[in-house]
Amino acid sequence: MKGLKATLILILTAAMILMGSGLSMAAKPILIGGSLPLTGKFAETAKWIARGYRYWAEEINKKGGLLGRPVKFIIYDDESNATKAVTYAEKAITVDKVDLLFGGYPGTAARAVMPVAEKYKMVYVSMGGHMKSFSQGYTYSFGGPPLMGEWWYLGFMDWMKTIPKKDRPKRAAVFTMNNPIGASLLDSMKTLEKDLGIKIVINEKYNLPLPDATPLIMKAKQMKCDILFSNGFFADGVMTMRAAKALNYNPKAIVQGVGSVIPAWTKELGKDGDYVFSGTALHNKLKFPGNKKLNEVVKKRWGLPAYPVYFGFGYCWMQTLQQGVEGAKSLDQTKIRDWLKSHEVHTIAGNFRFDKRGLPKPYNYLTQVIDGRVELIWPLSVRTHDPVYPKPHWK
Amino acid sequence: MARRGRFRPRRVPSRTGDRNVTGILVLQSVISGLMIGAIYGLLGVGFSLVWGAMKVINIAHAAFAVLGAYLAYFLLKAFGVDPVLGFFVILPFLFFGGMVVYRFLIFPVMRARDIVVSSMVLTFGCAIVIENFISLIGSPDPRVFTTRYTGRAFFLGPFAFQWPQTVGALMALAGMAVLYVFLKKTHTGKALRASWQQPEAARLYGINLRRISMIAFGLAVASAGLGGIAMGFVYSFDPHTHNLWLIYIFLVVILGGVGNVLGTALAGLLIGLLNGLSLAFFPYQWVNVITFGMLILILLVRPAGLFRSEV
Amino acid sequence: MKPYLKSLLFLAVAGAFALPWLSPPVYFVSLLFVVFMYVVLAESWVLIGGFAGYLSFGHGAFLGIGAYTTALLMNHFHLSPLYVLVSALPAGAAAACVAAVIGYPALRLRGPYFALITLCFAFVMELAVKNLDFLGGPEGLWLKAMGIEVGLARGIFFEVMLVLMLVTVLVVRRVESSRFGAGLKAIKEDEEVAQTLCVDTPRVKLSAFILSAFFPGVAGGLYAYYLSYIHPETVFNIDISILIVLMALFGGGSSYVGPIVGAISLSLVNELLSAFLKAEYARVIYGLLFVVLILYLPDGVISFFRGRKSGAG
Repeated sequence: MKGLKATLILILTAAMILMGSGLSMAAKPILIGGSLPLTGKFAETAKWIARGYRYWAEEINKKGGLLGRPVKFIIYDDESNATKAVTYAEKAITVDKVDLLFGGYPGTAARAVMPVAEKYKMVYVSMGGHMKSFSQGYTYSFGGPPLMGEWWYLGFMDWMKTIPKKDRPKRAAVFTMNNPIGASLLDSMKTLEKDLGIKIVINEKYNLPLPDATPLIMKAKQMKCDILFSNGFFADGVMTMRAAKALNYNPKAIVQGVGSVIPAWTKELGKDGDYVFSGTALHNKLKFPGNKKLNEVVKKRWGLPAYPVYFGFGYCWMQTLQQGVEGAKSLDQTKIRDWLKSHEVHTIAGNFRFDKRGLPKPYNYLTQVIDGRVELIWPLSVRTHDPVYPKPHWK
Repeated sequence: MARRGRFRPRRVPSRTGDRNVTGILVLQSVISGLMIGAIYGLLGVGFSLVWGAMKVINIAHAAFAVLGAYLAYFLLKAFGVDPVLGFFVILPFLFFGGMVVYRFLIFPVMRARDIVVSSMVLTFGCAIVIENFISLIGSPDPRVFTTRYTGRAFFLGPFAFQWPQTVGALMALAGMAVLYVFLKKTHTGKALRASWQQPEAARLYGINLRRISMIAFGLAVASAGLGGIAMGFVYSFDPHTHNLWLIYIFLVVILGGVGNVLGTALAGLLIGLLNGLSLAFFPYQWVNVITFGMLILILLVRPAGLFRSEV
Repeated sequence: MKPYLKSLLFLAVAGAFALPWLSPPVYFVSLLFVVFMYVVLAESWVLIGGFAGYLSFGHGAFLGIGAYTTALLMNHFHLSPLYVLVSALPAGAAAACVAAVIGYPALRLRGPYFALITLCFAFVMELAVKNLDFLGGPEGLWLKAMGIEVGLARGIFFEVMLVLMLVTVLVVRRVESSRFGAGLKAIKEDEEVAQTLCVDTPRVKLSAFILSAFFPGVAGGLYAYYLSYIHPETVFNIDISILIVLMALFGGGSSYVGPIVGAISLSLVNELLSAFLKAEYARVIYGLLFVVLILYLPDGVISFFRGRKSGAG
């Protein structure tokens, strides 16, 4: 134990120096820093966001950079741990002295980083952590666009209104995972009963991992629910779908929360994943400029038919930030913020004006998986395919 | 925090309604629970064997299970091999892989003062390596088995049995039966049991402890692989999933009594049963709280696990 | 301890105290804040897990209890964030009370059964908090931001955590050489024998457990403020509980020095790896580190410094 403490102190100092020196060679480029969960629970999604970021950088560097300077990303791996996300945000800001922050993932991490961004007065364009996080009075945070659970089913609700009352489902079974996303999704169903006359007959929350969906589906079937809301992630979403198929439960519509937006849904489920409704704030078939090119790039590099939604989000958040910087013509964070709050931005997800909270007007698209592809259903102006309703029976 | 304006749809008194519905739901939940429980049981048996026989707590056990599931998935996707058959293909790899791991990683730890502690740290490292190795080779996105019988069920009376779940549960039962017979009937199995019950006497009888342990470890890894495949029929899996599985394994093993194979199997079913019952009688969100709460109570009443008798 | 080491140590502590006021990048202050927190956690764990041999796999729960107590106190009484320093103490007390309630029946269990019951306890805590709306439920809780400059705020909390760490280390060190500590070690060796040697084992164990929950509770209070937003999955995360155990064991679990070494070295190595390597490679190497360490030093890092005199057995 004698030499131990001395050694320890030595290691500590050495570590500090190493960490400091390795990263302080910021010369010309504009540095954009932060962290993503590149390993652990959320790795898959984070990888696509990172690819979106990097592709944006590649594109803008080819065009001569941002404000005439090349951009460079410093992406730390927070191991799907919100505490690390906070530390790395501070590292990016205070050690690397980055010029801009990029948005993290998932909502819990964004919720933890948003106050940090506020304290350091750094513009933070991200998915946010649903409505609650945008009502904390942060001024530097923007959802450009946000992943807003509370808005998730707006498209669905609007579309459902166009269905004659007699054809609408009457009784809903709602199964929601017990976490912030689930809670926000549940929040977006407030108007189900009032506006659409759909009664919520079953309203169950479950903790992840879901042990088995069979009893849930059996209950829904027995209670004669003719619409199923599965407000869950991928794993539990898959289980619910498969149980519905196995029990030959045929509601008029199955609406899935956020599990069906990742490519694994169609890849792994195949035909069984068809006809599921969901929402999105961004889609690769939207007509806004840029989408086509992104699809081509993704096709060429990763062999996918179109870009996955989180790739698009990464790219889109950067577009918002880019326009803020170019509009403000400086890297002064307050100027960027003020510009973003007073001007419209044009992104692949649409054109946004941000309000005091940093949010665009509530909007969301309705999607449906048809023949293994995610198609846009509502609003009518973006429709790529007619909806399949009521859902055909399982084969 | 004010939670005004929070949407809270009225709870529907579903359970006070039609009595018939309730009864069927209870039993259906129990069936689901038992099927999952059998799989946890199988995963636990190998873990228990290693812990009992060589005082090694193998944190990487569930990681091996995930590895098994990935290998089977690969066979399924690339060659269309059904995961049940796929297991027989990967069995030798897992078995010998396990023996190699034992020889070069676990065996050297036997000299530690506290084998339990040291082996935990070591195998924790192994688990991290396996997890990230899988995501390096493949990618971290979730996978599920899709076979011809996926999304199919058969009915016994009003009760539904999903085929994949049933296949998984049957695999698990078969695996446990094989392990049980191995320990009870074969020479190696008897030697193994002797070696952990009375190591000194076993050595006197000329039992090669190292060889026996190596085989036991190989078997444990292979059974983990089988358990992983069985889990793959029920859940989606990704490289990170093993953390979750491990906790259930731990639960099952300790409840069943360390080194007690039959006890572990029964504990798996019991946990499934608890889960199923609470699923039927309580709101879903409280199921795990109640399951774990009941476990705590059971432990307090029976402080040495449920099944005290050996093997 | 040799005098030059003593003075070196003194210098190091003084340096640590001075650090936030030398205006380094705030990141280092934050990083060390978290490292110190882990030292507190692992160090308190050693009281029950290392000395008495009762492996608690639910110690992270006390951190969470502390965090939630503080957050609730602050939000309920609309306290200024500076009072966190004050409200962290009741948070520690709350954690200690819970430990008393849990520990009284749980400590009757031996070996793996105790490990299991603590693990279950940690789970129940996380899930219950998630299901209780008055605790924020699945949405989590926000804490008010402090109205002072961020570097200063971080500095203040850094100092408090540093003090807490020193107190914890000193207390554990004191316990190790006391009669109380001897009693705990006797329990680890053989509980029946300890009993016949007139060690009041239930009382000794329970006191150790309560004491080992108090410090994590206080740390949790500070941690809640550091995060500003707490969520059951962040502060009750089972990974924290397991990491605590591993840090203590990595360093060598049966002395007060082990957890310090374990917590500091693991945190910093992980941070370094992540800084210089691609994410997955960093993790693989991090995992290999455990493997290699145990292969060469089966009894933890400090056995190296002790010249392996107690080594092979």
